[in-house]
Amino acid sequence: MTTPTPEGRDFRRDEVIAGEYVLGVLSADDRRKVEARLASDRNFAAMVDRWQSNLSSFDDAYDPVVPPPRTFSAIERQLFDTLRSEPVRSRGLWHSLALWRGLALASFAALLVMGASMAGLFETRSTGASLVAELSGKGSAIDLVARFDRASGRLQVTPVAASQAEQKSLELWLINGSNPAISLGVLPQTGEGEIAVPSTFRSRISAGSVLAVSVEPLGGSPTGVATGPIIALGKARNL
Amino acid sequence: MIDEDIAGLLGRVSLGDRDAFAELYRQTSPKLFGICLRILGNRGEAEEALQEIYVKIWQRAGRFSQGQAAAGSWLAAIARNQAIDFIRARKPAANVIDEAYDLADPAADPEKLAVVRAEGRRIDACMEELEEDRAEAVRRAYVEGLSYQELADVFAVPLNTMRTWLRRSLLKLRECMER
Repeated sequence: MTTPTPEGRDFRRDEVIAGEYVLGVLSADDRRKVEARLASDRNFAAMVDRWQSNLSSFDDAYDPVVPPPRTFSAIERQLFDTLRSEPVRSRGLWHSLALWRGLALASFAALLVMGASMAGLFETRSTGASLVAELSGKGSAIDLVARFDRASGRLQVTPVAASQAEQKSLELWLINGSNPAISLGVLPQTGEGEIAVPSTFRSRISAGSVLAVSVEPLGGSPTGVATGPIIALGKARNL
Repeated sequence: MIDEDIAGLLGRVSLGDRDAFAELYRQTSPKLFGICLRILGNRGEAEEALQEIYVKIWQRAGRFSQGQAAAGSWLAAIARNQAIDFIRARKPAANVIDEAYDLADPAADPEKLAVVRAEGRRIDACMEELEEDRAEAVRRAYVEGLSYQELADVFAVPLNTMRTWLRRSLLKLRECMER
């Protein structure tokens, strides 16, 4: 048979349009039309899938380039926001949970001792609008400066250096006296940025409050208490 | 990108696992960023596109099914589609799919095309059956996300000639892949 039947012609035309879509040569309007058809025409969708798979070996032509760290922070912000009053439970297995818990006990013991020994180093009377705390840890790869603006409830955390492994999150904690630490949220993956303090906790941040940062599994502590080592801590004082 | 690992991570991402998402990003973002840079030719736009791409990956991870496509190719397709949408918005191309397609080509038999068989050939072998400049046009359309007009300019041929080149090449490739 030398003359294509109308059916054959349509089939070939569809194959070509599917191929043009995958190649990327179509206009924006045409791409939307193809996508609308993809949703309703399984045979046509199969043609597109097949071209996708056939042509994917051309992907070898793309050289990998590591994107800047700010891109992942922007993605996390867009998807998850950083406003969280308590850590989200991790769904993944945390194989060394017991180890982290052991470390947590040790860390908090150390923290409380340090907190007690540091009492009186800073002004404790406060009616000022803003507070600042410099958070640092012995031998730590990271130093943070936390600024709390009481009027807006924004707690701004600026890293001096951040070199923690990417698979971990830095979680910020508020400790008043011997009360249990309260999670103020997880810092964006770069260690940079602001956390909006939940209104119920704002009144609890005052001069003398201890701010601490712990290393947690990505996404925050799975248990609601710090599970990783405290890498930085400091007391709030008036600006 | 190792497809098995990536498929596993996509499975966890579809359950809302943010650790898996971060790991998936760590492993795959250089390749997808490379795609964005090549097609968009601009770091700022490439970063913006990459952000949209991973938002889509988070939202669509549940639609990935193993066996349908290799995980790496599935991610690359999302990235290419996003980058091409960006570039078409910036540099509009002519609409064509509602026009007549000149597909007359005695070499391609529609009855053969209709036979669906397991694909025994790789695209590379079939590309070699195309004339060199046409194979090059197909490859550059894909890799660089060029429009018909841009390809016509690059290859110094009339727009309609380029359309005919690519469309007939697509039919020849389809026929070759199924042979």
